[in-house]
Amino acid sequence: MIAHLLLGLSLGDIWSFVEVNLDELLAGLRRTLTISAIAIAGASVIGLTLGAARAYRIPVVSQVAAVYVEVIRNTPILVQIFMLFYALPQIGIRLEAFTVAWLAVTVWGGAFNTENFRAGFEAVPTRYREAGTALGFKGFATFVNITLPIGGRIALPSSINTYISIVKNTSLMYVIAYPEITTTIYQIQALTLETAEAFTVLALTYLIIVWSLSALIRLLESHLALPEDRR
Amino acid sequence: MSTPDWVEPVARYMLEVGLANTLKLSAIALVGSSLIGIVLGTLLTIRFLPLRAVIRAYIEIWRGLPILVTIFIVYFALPSVSPTLRFDSITAGAIALILWGSAQVAETTRGAVQSIPREQHEAAAALGFGWVGRQAFVIMPQALRRLLPPLVGLLVNIIQNTTIVQVIGAPELLETAERQVERLTFEGDQHAIEIYGAVMVVFFILSFPLTRLAAYLERRLT
Repeated sequence: MIAHLLLGLSLGDIWSFVEVNLDELLAGLRRTLTISAIAIAGASVIGLTLGAARAYRIPVVSQVAAVYVEVIRNTPILVQIFMLFYALPQIGIRLEAFTVAWLAVTVWGGAFNTENFRAGFEAVPTRYREAGTALGFKGFATFVNITLPIGGRIALPSSINTYISIVKNTSLMYVIAYPEITTTIYQIQALTLETAEAFTVLALTYLIIVWSLSALIRLLESHLALPEDRR
Repeated sequence: MSTPDWVEPVARYMLEVGLANTLKLSAIALVGSSLIGIVLGTLLTIRFLPLRAVIRAYIEIWRGLPILVTIFIVYFALPSVSPTLRFDSITAGAIALILWGSAQVAETTRGAVQSIPREQHEAAAALGFGWVGRQAFVIMPQALRRLLPPLVGLLVNIIQNTTIVQVIGAPELLETAERQVERLTFEGDQHAIEIYGAVMVVFFILSFPLTRLAAYLERRLT
């Protein structure tokens, strides 16, 4: 409907574009989802471990993590991708486009997730941890049984926002010609000149993914809210 | 220690052309996003369903799309609809950044405006202010306090996202860096690490103080 209003396209035009290029579009979408999935998993692991290291101020690891977070958050991800793909070969490190594709968004998402989880863990009320100690939990057991489940819930909305940004940022792999959905659709329209149809389909693809994930946040927010926050 | 010969022309081009365009794009995008976003966000607090639906759609679409895709739509798809919608790469990039940025600001503004107590509206109305006067002179000055930290955060994101305009060849910092790397490579000189490293340093110097400022304002003003 929006495409119809904005670009003078009919649903038929859009559907025939999808039908004709279906195989390529699906292959592109699969690559987008694959690198997104790898990055979301990787960023979760990085965020949980480094976030905990930051929250508990574990010497050395905490400082190294702080530098990692600040460098990644204060430099554009596009320049990071250029570094990995176009600069590293200068010192003999040649990474495949696929490797750079998942690695760049993992490293980027990991930095943001470290902050999400650090904030989540630090927001766990001290009295909960004291209760854990009173129950006889040792340090690590307190973390696993109390800080992790509660802090993890607090960090969940912001971490899903980071995952949404990861999916959106996979579009930047266009600059290294990795054939995820943006590169795929760009190349199709460069050939067929169906510019309006192509970019409408591209936009709709991202909106469906992003809107689904946002709906998931709202669903989880009410579902996973801490009992004492439920009204 | 003297700097090698290749550095001076590269640095001069990247700073005079690239950095200048990056800063120009950032400034335009910040002003445009703030103005449009604050107006849309304020309008979103009016209980008039059709208007709210239109603004909601605007916010959800431009926030949901990767900026790269918005840039492609503005730069490649709009001209195919009407030749009058053909823009040069810097303008197209600025439009795309404003669409995305204004959607962010609109959402934040809605929250900030709604956080101002009802009594403020009522008191201003009792003093004879019309709706526009109420919003402009009573509500917005108070809402701006809450808006300032996210606006500084937005500026950081805008500065970093100007690099995406590189994909349509707008000569901002990353694009000028790439041109210099390619020129040197063509001449048989490999300096990608130094040049892209310098780009990272410049962005870090621009962003880091602003990130700190945003965090500081967050603590001070809320």
